Amino acid sequence: MKENKVHNDSEYFLAAWSEGKISAEELKKYVSKEDFKAYMELEKGIHLYEKLEAPLDRSFQKIQEKIKYKSKARVRKLYVNWFTSIAASIVLFVGLYSLLGNNTVLLNTGTGEHKNVALLDGSEVILNSKSEISYNKRTWKKEREVTLKGEAYFKVQKGSTFTVKTINGSVTVLGTQFNVISRDNFFEVVCYEGKVSVKNNISSVILLPGNSVRVLNGEIIEDHQVKEQSPSWILGESTFKSIPLKYVINALENQYNVHFDRSLIDESVIYTGSFNNKNLEIALATVFKATNIKYKMTTANIILLENN
Amino acid sequence: MSKDLNNICNPTIFEKVFRTYSKDLKRFLYFRFGDMESCEDIMQDTFVKLWDNCSSVNYNKVKSYLFTVGNNLFLNIKKHEKIVREHQQLKVNDSTYESPEFLLLEKEFQLKLEKAIAALSERQREVFLLNKIEKKKYKEIAEMLGLSVKAVEKRMHGALKELRNKIGNI
Repeated sequence: MKENKVHNDSEYFLAAWSEGKISAEELKKYVSKEDFKAYMELEKGIHLYEKLEAPLDRSFQKIQEKIKYKSKARVRKLYVNWFTSIAASIVLFVGLYSLLGNNTVLLNTGTGEHKNVALLDGSEVILNSKSEISYNKRTWKKEREVTLKGEAYFKVQKGSTFTVKTINGSVTVLGTQFNVISRDNFFEVVCYEGKVSVKNNISSVILLPGNSVRVLNGEIIEDHQVKEQSPSWILGESTFKSIPLKYVINALENQYNVHFDRSLIDESVIYTGSFNNKNLEIALATVFKATNIKYKMTTANIILLENN
Repeated sequence: MSKDLNNICNPTIFEKVFRTYSKDLKRFLYFRFGDMESCEDIMQDTFVKLWDNCSSVNYNKVKSYLFTVGNNLFLNIKKHEKIVREHQQLKVNDSTYESPEFLLLEKEFQLKLEKAIAALSERQREVFLLNKIEKKKYKEIAEMLGLSVKAVEKRMHGALKELRNKIGNI
């Protein structure tokens, strides 16, 4: 009877061993030494296989638990971040307001208008028509810097570096008198007294009294000598020397409230001369008689230009 | 739409990534470090970390991210253990530090075994996997498959014998 039972178990002894019903010691009885060794290795391998291939659901559940537990702890951190970002943006707003909102001084002139401006250090700026300067009150003591669009004549008091910034380049001086024009892509600096350094993103030039420099389409051209003590436009006259007609016409438009139809003329003609800033008729006559161009007032403030 | 499909922060995508890579990661960790007990934990922690950083991990690089993080986590634990040991001045058996050759041999053996399992007959493999992976008793398997317990035992016996033959002598 007993023998029979052993026999029953032994028929599928490997299944019984795998299930743990018979021990490794007992298994020895059924198999050769070599097989036994192999089965022991196999058992280890299967054990590892079980672990490696274990169903994923439990692992995933555990991960979810860990994430839940962690996210509870993270709430506070998020809260702190909120606070810091609010604080940071308040600081930023206050900073921006004090930098831009309050301290920038902006001055401009309309068509045909001139304006005399005294800066904080006693320097003097005369703005030609349709021009604009701005500077920062707060940083003025540290660095004297103004931004210019258009044309202006500067009489700078001696002191620290004085910079005029324009989109076409910058002018740096210590204390002198000079004139700057920066309109569209035309840039001209004339030095009347002292020493002036002119820089654009390509090169830089130092001007002595009576020198001038001109930048046309990004190229620096050292230019004519100037004999006057101050620019002529201050005295009511605009003077030009070897400038494409285009810029002379632009200047007329800036000075008087008129527009020109230039479609029928060649604007690249070089012009030297001046025009009156007070009387449009005289100004038109001086410019266009000299260049042999007919002008005719058509509709409101539009003047048609035509070759003779 | 395609953005949604690649966003690991989406729980469905996260689970998909988990189902695709977790086994590979566990296997990688095991054969790199030879410590099955920690492998499961580290694999879980790696995925927790992935979830934390889900928005910054590129979906296409998630595999290498997982393996790198897992590797680093394991190294951190080992480093910590080493320090603890030094302070306690204990002699510890180095069994977790399996030698590279040993691990290589073990890996080869494991691959051979897996191939052998895959090559079992359908009937044998079914019983074998239900028993080993799904942890079903022979009796339960018999009920599931509509067989006698004896028949299940027979298949199991056959499976083990077959595996032993396939792996050859050690």
